[in-house]
Amino acid sequence: MTAWNESVGGKRALAILRSRPFLTVVIVAAVWIGASFASRGFGAYGHLRYLVELGAVIGLVAAGQTFVVIAGGIDLSVAAIVTVSAISLPLLSWPADPTGLASILAVLALTTVIGAINGLGVALLRVHPMIMTLAMATFLQGLLIIIAGGSAVTAENPLVHWLGNARPAGIPAGIVLWVIVSAIVLTVMHATPFGARIFAMGANPLAASLSGVPVASTTLAVYGISGFTSGLAGVLVLGMNGQGYVGIGDPYLLASIAAVVLGGTSILGGLGTYAGTIPGAVLLVTITALITVVNASPGWRSILFGSLILGLLLLSGREQARR
Amino acid sequence: MTTAPLLAARGVSKSFFGNPVLRDVSIALQPGRVHALLGENGAGKSTLINLLSGALRPDGGAIEVEGRAVSRMTPALARQAGIAVVQQELSLTASLSIAENIGLGAYPRRLGLIDYTALAARARAACELVGLHEPLSTPVGHLSLGRRQMVEIAKALYRKPRVLILDEPTSSLSATETKILTDLLERLRGEGIAILYISHRLNEVMALCQHVTVLKDGICTADRSLAGTDAAGLVRLMVGRDPGDLFPQWQTSKSPADAISVRNFSAGLMRDVDLDVRTGEVLGIGGLVGQGQEDLLLGLYGAIPARTASASVNGVPGLPGGVPKANALGLAYVPADRKREGLHLIHPIITNMMLPAFARLPALKLRSRRAERETARGLAAQLGIKGDLARAAQALSGGNQQKVALAKWMPHDPLVLLLNDPTRGVDVETKREIYLMLRAFAAAGKAVVLLSSDTPELVHLCDRVAVVREGRIVATLERGALSEETIVSAAMGAEDRKVAA
Repeated sequence: MTAWNESVGGKRALAILRSRPFLTVVIVAAVWIGASFASRGFGAYGHLRYLVELGAVIGLVAAGQTFVVIAGGIDLSVAAIVTVSAISLPLLSWPADPTGLASILAVLALTTVIGAINGLGVALLRVHPMIMTLAMATFLQGLLIIIAGGSAVTAENPLVHWLGNARPAGIPAGIVLWVIVSAIVLTVMHATPFGARIFAMGANPLAASLSGVPVASTTLAVYGISGFTSGLAGVLVLGMNGQGYVGIGDPYLLASIAAVVLGGTSILGGLGTYAGTIPGAVLLVTITALITVVNASPGWRSILFGSLILGLLLLSGREQARR
Repeated sequence: MTTAPLLAARGVSKSFFGNPVLRDVSIALQPGRVHALLGENGAGKSTLINLLSGALRPDGGAIEVEGRAVSRMTPALARQAGIAVVQQELSLTASLSIAENIGLGAYPRRLGLIDYTALAARARAACELVGLHEPLSTPVGHLSLGRRQMVEIAKALYRKPRVLILDEPTSSLSATETKILTDLLERLRGEGIAILYISHRLNEVMALCQHVTVLKDGICTADRSLAGTDAAGLVRLMVGRDPGDLFPQWQTSKSPADAISVRNFSAGLMRDVDLDVRTGEVLGIGGLVGQGQEDLLLGLYGAIPARTASASVNGVPGLPGGVPKANALGLAYVPADRKREGLHLIHPIITNMMLPAFARLPALKLRSRRAERETARGLAAQLGIKGDLARAAQALSGGNQQKVALAKWMPHDPLVLLLNDPTRGVDVETKREIYLMLRAFAAAGKAVVLLSSDTPELVHLCDRVAVVREGRIVATLERGALSEETIVSAAMGAEDRKVAA
């Protein structure tokens, strides 16, 4: 017992060095260093800051996705929810709301409810998460086409504009938002009973439920969180873009899942951490930037992107077999 | 017998990560002999089987087939040599049918396709040997644990083995199924097959086997004929000391107060059952495997839907209707299949122990890792769980896993413990510890409902035993009327009597 006590600090340091999140950070650093030698300007502070700012959007979407995947599910509706958020925000605005805060809150409430409906289908109707969230995505896309048509909408919301463009103390507001969300997510995931329940559900839902874990309400909450963070990402993307259009969220489906898996979270559920998803998101935007530097045609870009993600997953170790 | 053994290990040793698991162990399986392999959990029995069947390679020593040393034993070589293993952990695929599971890996083929007619014929022959009469197309997932075990045995017989290794085959079998199996093994022995038999049930070993090898902490402590040995002698060899009494002294602490009382209770297979569980008693639930006993526990626990005319649980009217509610009312459930239902194998032991706490604490209250470690260490000390609590639960032996599954409820001071076969596949020493704990629990004025497939356990431990057959409680036997005979005869429906509760 005492030996265990004494070595606990050393053990922890070793565990961090060997962990997947740390490995992902190392890969990001290596890519940044390599790329800044190869391409002048890539390693400039301004450019790296821009990369992290882009990573913030993926990071927000992937925050909810990490919760869902650890709980043993998957959310394929995140891209559609990002789009819903970016398009419905300009529609949900009132003259009596000069800062625009009320309309942001209304949008976040809407996307949280959409997520919770996913959770309802998964938990109570026992629809497989893939089917439930994919159906939800299709439904939302149809609805968006009816509401917005093919035209882009412009946000005239001061707070959204601030989020997308302001730089308090030289740091983009989007990054500040991501840091705050990350702190909350990590705390909830690793320092609260709610977080522990999610890991238990993902590792063995039957044993979790027999241990008294309220599986249905926790599932509802997890998908609700995913809806919330996707909504938040939609607000940020609208602010950075200035305009919302159907399809604005599309890149974030694969990106959110890839960020989760690159960060070492088990796609089978029960194991993982958002601390890995964060460098995972940065790694993804870095790859995208590299491909842009190569100056390939859009078709080749997609092919490169897909191949690089596969290659990275092979590099950072595949999932160990488990029952 | 002077013939060469069909399969033998000569002075084999094996270590995992520097921990010696087997040291210089020899065993020889002779044709026409049932050879018992005894030892506590963690003594190295499974490792020895894995060496014999080629699943693992020894660090030192040799494996011999028919007297010839095999330099590289592999599972494929073992199959060719006619060695079949019935694993303790069932290796069946739930979604495949009985016939497909039995033939898996050795399907008869015609024109490169599976010959289902031939498969069915051969699988049926194997099933008949073990008394499996379910349709061959039944998915294995629909069968009870005991029937699945029989499929596993049929799967081994399908391969026409010359050496049959059985790792705790009877741990989930009913009395009838056990009888079929022992008769079958007798017959196979007569046909000259060498059988290695592992079991924690000593009376079975005494009745069935002719020779015994005992392992203790990876060392062979006995390799002798069973003639002239008694059960107490075997236990002494296994635990290295006098066995003492396996069961604690029975002493009633029963009170007239009801902890649980249900009328016309139905859940799953159970139909219109009346049941009273008194505080301070150990109530046994007996019967053949799969008659609805498990549904009774799960229904009371709120894990499956249940109906009742009237009910009261710890003074609160009505059934809990959900696990969190049941926990709040002071019920705790320990499942039979600890790997699938009881534990989170990939998570640390400490997390497993704390899960009921996580389930009932306010969702967003900050956790205190230090308090969790202290609680877990206290539980580990109380139940004798050794080792680093930060390891994954899958690293523990079966007995220790069961202790963790029990331990996690202790901080919540449950009023009623619902136990589903808590000593299945658990070594003698751990069994004893669990028995002592249950009696102490009852003595403290709590109630224990003990579902068990081990009849002696019910006789020696319980204040009353409710025997279940076909979804009904067919008899409630009071302490004075308890014996293995009364329980088994009520379970089989040999006599229809009902002792008033």
